[in-house]
Amino acid sequence: MKNFIFSFLALLLLPTYMMGQAQAIKGKVVDSNGMGIPGAIIASADARATADADFDGNFTINAKPGDILKVSMLGFDAVSVPATAAPMTITLKEAGDTALKEVVVIGYGTRKKVDNTTAISSIKAEEITKTKVLNASQAIQGKAAGVQVISSDLPGSTPSVVIRGLGTALGGRNPLYIVDGMQTENINNINSNDITSYEVLKDASALAIYGTRAANGVIIITTKKGKGDKVSVEIESFAGIREPLKKVKMAGSNKFAYYTNSALQTTTFSQDQPVNTDWFDAITRTGSYTQNNISVSGASENIKYFFSLGNYEEKAVLNGLDYGRTTFRNNNEYKISKKLTLNQNFSFTSTNSTPKPLSAFTTAYKQSPIVPVRFANGQYGVSRVGENGFANTTGSSFNNVGNPVAQLDLYNEQQKSVTLQGGLKLDYEILPSLKFTSQFNGEYYTWKQYNFEDSENIWLAANPDKTAADFDQRVVNEKIPYNLLTKGREEYFNWNLSNYLTFNKVFNQIHDVELTAGIETSVRGPRQKLTIVRKNANTDSNYWSLKDVDYVANITSYKDEVFNETKLASYFGRFQYKLKDRYLLTGTIRRDGSSNFAKDYRWGTFPAFGAGWIINKESFMADVKTINLLKLRGGWGKLGNQNVPLNRQGYSSGLNSYLGGSILYEGTTITSQIDPSLSWEVTEESSLGLDFELLDNRLKGTFDLYNKKTDNVILNVQPYIASGITTASPAHVGEVSNKGYEISLRWDDKITDDLSYWIGGNFSHNKNELTGIKDIILSPIQGGSLGNGETTKFLDNSSVGQPLGSFFLYQYAGFDSENGKMLYYKADGTKATQDALGTADKKYVGSILPKSNYGVTLGLNYKNFDFSVDGYGTSGAKVYNGKKGQRFGGENIEDSVATDFWTINNPTASNPGAFNSTPVASTYYLESGDFFRINNITLGYKLPLDEKSFISYCRLYVNAINPFITQKFSGFSPELNADGDPYKLQGVELDAYPTLRSFVVGANLKF
Amino acid sequence: MKNIYISMFALVSLLFAGCADDYLDVNQTESVSTDDIELYNNNAGAETFVTAIYNKFLDWDTTSFGWIGLASITSDDADKGSSPGDAGTDKDILDALTYNASNPSCRDIFKAYYAGINRCNQALNIIPQLDKADAGLRSRLMGEATFMRAFMYFTLVKIYGGVPIVDHLPNPSSLEDKNMLLTRKPVTEVYAFIENDLNTAIAALPLKSAYSADEKARVSKGSAYALLAKVNLYQKNWQKVVDNCNLVTGYSLVPDYATMFRLEGENGPESIFEINGVGSVPAKGIRQYSQVQAPKGTGGWGWGFNTPSQSLLNAYEPGDVRKDATIIFRGTTLYDGKLVPNTVQNERYNYKAYSSNYSGADDSDANVIFIRYAEVLLMKAEALNELGQTSDAISLLNQIRNRAKLPNTTFSSQDDIRKAIWRERRVELAFEFDRFFDLVRTGQAKTAFAADGKVFTEGKNELFPIPEAFLNEAKGLSSQNPGY
Repeated sequence: MKNFIFSFLALLLLPTYMMGQAQAIKGKVVDSNGMGIPGAIIASADARATADADFDGNFTINAKPGDILKVSMLGFDAVSVPATAAPMTITLKEAGDTALKEVVVIGYGTRKKVDNTTAISSIKAEEITKTKVLNASQAIQGKAAGVQVISSDLPGSTPSVVIRGLGTALGGRNPLYIVDGMQTENINNINSNDITSYEVLKDASALAIYGTRAANGVIIITTKKGKGDKVSVEIESFAGIREPLKKVKMAGSNKFAYYTNSALQTTTFSQDQPVNTDWFDAITRTGSYTQNNISVSGASENIKYFFSLGNYEEKAVLNGLDYGRTTFRNNNEYKISKKLTLNQNFSFTSTNSTPKPLSAFTTAYKQSPIVPVRFANGQYGVSRVGENGFANTTGSSFNNVGNPVAQLDLYNEQQKSVTLQGGLKLDYEILPSLKFTSQFNGEYYTWKQYNFEDSENIWLAANPDKTAADFDQRVVNEKIPYNLLTKGREEYFNWNLSNYLTFNKVFNQIHDVELTAGIETSVRGPRQKLTIVRKNANTDSNYWSLKDVDYVANITSYKDEVFNETKLASYFGRFQYKLKDRYLLTGTIRRDGSSNFAKDYRWGTFPAFGAGWIINKESFMADVKTINLLKLRGGWGKLGNQNVPLNRQGYSSGLNSYLGGSILYEGTTITSQIDPSLSWEVTEESSLGLDFELLDNRLKGTFDLYNKKTDNVILNVQPYIASGITTASPAHVGEVSNKGYEISLRWDDKITDDLSYWIGGNFSHNKNELTGIKDIILSPIQGGSLGNGETTKFLDNSSVGQPLGSFFLYQYAGFDSENGKMLYYKADGTKATQDALGTADKKYVGSILPKSNYGVTLGLNYKNFDFSVDGYGTSGAKVYNGKKGQRFGGENIEDSVATDFWTINNPTASNPGAFNSTPVASTYYLESGDFFRINNITLGYKLPLDEKSFISYCRLYVNAINPFITQKFSGFSPELNADGDPYKLQGVELDAYPTLRSFVVGANLKF
Repeated sequence: MKNIYISMFALVSLLFAGCADDYLDVNQTESVSTDDIELYNNNAGAETFVTAIYNKFLDWDTTSFGWIGLASITSDDADKGSSPGDAGTDKDILDALTYNASNPSCRDIFKAYYAGINRCNQALNIIPQLDKADAGLRSRLMGEATFMRAFMYFTLVKIYGGVPIVDHLPNPSSLEDKNMLLTRKPVTEVYAFIENDLNTAIAALPLKSAYSADEKARVSKGSAYALLAKVNLYQKNWQKVVDNCNLVTGYSLVPDYATMFRLEGENGPESIFEINGVGSVPAKGIRQYSQVQAPKGTGGWGWGFNTPSQSLLNAYEPGDVRKDATIIFRGTTLYDGKLVPNTVQNERYNYKAYSSNYSGADDSDANVIFIRYAEVLLMKAEALNELGQTSDAISLLNQIRNRAKLPNTTFSSQDDIRKAIWRERRVELAFEFDRFFDLVRTGQAKTAFAADGKVFTEGKNELFPIPEAFLNEAKGLSSQNPGY
């Protein structure tokens, strides 16, 4: 439309133009970053001419040198400059009205934030790199309302990101990540320094464009591109130390002896112990980590380039656990012709780690302090107590806990991986208003691992009274396979291809229409995994893989798996309409076909719409000067989760039998039953939001309300017994609801040119509930196993009305003041000891899912100093103290228990009497997961350098990550992600890596 | 240029739309798809579906711990055994006949047998589709599967009374099939169904002699006739018992009773339906069958459950060789020279579960004999006696007694002979999972249990409780047995 108007204007002015002695003035309109501004308007009153900048900001106007050119563009401050004969570069400054210039990535396109009708949280590059952690998702914790991040400081681990509540029990829970167009499930391979924007799509009207993969939310990550006309070299380096944020004080050896004697009612242990081992200290060290990045970027007329190389090395706090990652990225943009642009990106990531078993933390927690790390004879300490009441090599065993130091020393594993990601994107401007985009992305991953079991030393570590000769004898006698070497290999290749058209035009100056339509295919190639275990491997790793040696006789396990491939074929379309710059309407539709489902059930349609009203643009608001932006938006949509358990039916083999002779006949049958109608889970969401900016844009805020319902949640159904089908089969039987609200507020102000500050925060509340189960019998999930026969979580038909991830436990009822025994409530309200309890006495007592989480941020810039603090907290979640509750007998106890437990002389103690048996899983070990933690404090200083000097920019900083926490939990960390499965050890502290506190110094340099 | 792109786009869209559905057909690689039935379309493939049914009898739930508890420890022949504090999940409760609807063994056996019936139905559904397998073989395999289904229903009807009859693979979305799975059928219907299956099996199965030495444990025509006779016996169709027993041909009594329960005597001339375990590598035995019944304690090698009762010991007449073939006495030396020291916890153990080579192993070579020729003779004797042909019955009874090195019976009246046959069944078939059901069948239960110091409640204990888990599914379509 714009073009039309200007053409028309041009026509009017044509006669004048023809009379003048005009010539072509050439130039380029760029923004402050040097990026061309397409569509900028160049007008010369003197020459009575106008022109539009093209896709790259270039323009040609018929004017004379010296004529004043007025250059303007929506979102930028207009400038007037005299024309010159030489090619001009006109830089426009972004308008102060920030809402107008901000752009959000919306999937297959971008949209000005002010025109967007959906709920999207955008996190800027500097926010992501501020907290020095490996995975960008961990860095955004607390920075986006409605986005819960549960992370672990275990190097290389993947944080769980839950967007607006958990809507699935068995299906995939992770959001879909789109990295420069590549749809992927993990961003551990992405160097945070390469990220330019991180956008979280939260509501259905934003997400529906991703259809059947969108129900858990979508995170769109865009990596950097070259800009400016000169080569820019940036270096960031930091180094830091890490230590556990919180430790649990365990009983010392004399207190242990007292408690355990009391439990055994003997005097087995001397109360004057010569050894007092702090096992936690024995297995940990001060961790250290460093990261170095260098990037080279720039742009010329036709090419923008960005290269980056990054290296991260961590020596973790757990002894022997090292992790390294090297990343390389190259993003280029080629302008092939005026209308054709090619974007190419490529990234290479390799990781190298020596994992150690996290169960060492539990072992260290439980092992007795009377046991030395090593005995005097040099052998590892074991829990044996001699006649004298001290630990020795030959006494009787008093617990089943190993030596965690030996466990780490003798655990020999290495993992290496390489991830390659790359993509090509072609943009072709068919007409000024019509653009065609074709994008291909691929991802290749390869992983290898070895794990060697040094049988002799492992056996000797457990049997300090034995010798190597004893072991050799045992090998002969028992014919056990020893020195097992496991080698694993895995690889996959995923790719996707999308082609779409974007049409954008303004009609009659008031109707701004944008249409997008396209097709896409995504293929998750078959994941291939090979795992070979062989015995009798040489203890020297150099000789594990000899040339020309056939190991067939030593193979004890050979697994060669190719997992099912999945493919997706999709059509999508979006309509965005803006009337008079204030009434907004968006409609989205996506149709997806998934190979995961049976032929008749594989296609689904996911519609959504959104509407917005920019109220402050109405005439009745014209006089209200305090309100800079007031926008009401709302939407509705349907989303799918196709990452659900597959119900492909297969033959069960291995059901062999001898039928009377020496031949083992092969047996096969079918023991599963499939529901052919199984398909994706569908989430329906309605949402409403309000965005505002007040008081000269100093106060910005957003308020969102949503109601999400997944009414076909997949759960495992117990087939009818008489069907004889023994495998539970997944079916659409559950209903989960998530309802909540989110608030974010931020105040930015500049007091003087030298002093500015901000303060902000966000709060989100979500109510998760399993609202219904169809008329079937679920195959119960007994989860959160403590490894001692006790489970902490449960899901079956009785779970309706509870949140997902609920604990199901006996209720602790204090202890009997007569004998100190723990008592529990029976279903009828009476109290009983644990041997009188039955499953009917268990109750749902809260979930691992928090009800609320919140973040705060504040910062200050004074002259060359910058200072900021970020905090994060959750409330309403429960955590289970698994390592405390996983007792068998003879383990160490907490100092707080050892100093105040029931005895006949201390009947009102705060802890029950000493006991030496496995306690049932009960609320005694369930604690509040509420915490508030300062995630990050940064203080930076920019050296006063001349921009023209060799080093144009240098900022030095110190950074404290997780320096403080307030928590109610008595264990190490209330933030317990485990493997991210709410029905496994998520929210249970058992074999968990502690949260760390880190202190970092670093520098950013630009050349 | 522009046109090229537009047309490319249009072309890609069309292609995509046209073959998108085929495009989404992805080959299954994690497990053999049930669509690929062709892989089994040959003789060996067809056989695998029936082998899986035999395999089901090797399961822990089907023929091991739960089954031993429910079908043996409950009877007056056996006590729970093991140490007093070791309940073996619910073996104490089974021994005392105080089980209820949530009893684990009652539930697990119900589940296990229906899982077995599923394997039969899978075989009966798949084998007819395997047209490249030999027609004669397919027919025989169908016969084996049909026999197995009948055997499993017979076990179910003895334990639970009427049960749902699942005669085909249920379609998960069919209401009719759902009702089939949840509705108990009357006992008479179950018996009719069993008889029908057995008649089908009889037509399809070969004689035992037709099987090669490596397949002696496969069921044959004789197995089906013998089982049919037993089914008739439970319904007191005396003439049919006699007729079907007469059709069980090609079998004979083994001279040395004890050898039948050892590796050397397995699948011998007396064996009609026997579950075969192998302990040598690759081992495939009845899961821990020997282990759970082997002597417990110092010098022992097992868990010590299912021990012969005093009541059984008392039932042996002096000189009966079957006593020492059935019962391991502590402090004695076994046939293979193994000493059972006096330090083991229980006085007596089940000799028929002993495996010489794999005594304490999970997989042993101990077999379970479900039907053998001696029982056929006893069934025929009982039926003839009921039909008034007592003298013919006596001669059959004496065959059994003489093999046990006992003299001819001294009884002659019809009533005495009936009781003599019942007594003979007890000692002949002890620890072969017949006694409890035999007591119920013959109406001797209350007295017999009283003699063993247990309370058998008439009108209740004839049947075991229907598992609660099943009734929860049935929601009123089925009801509990009386008394539970």
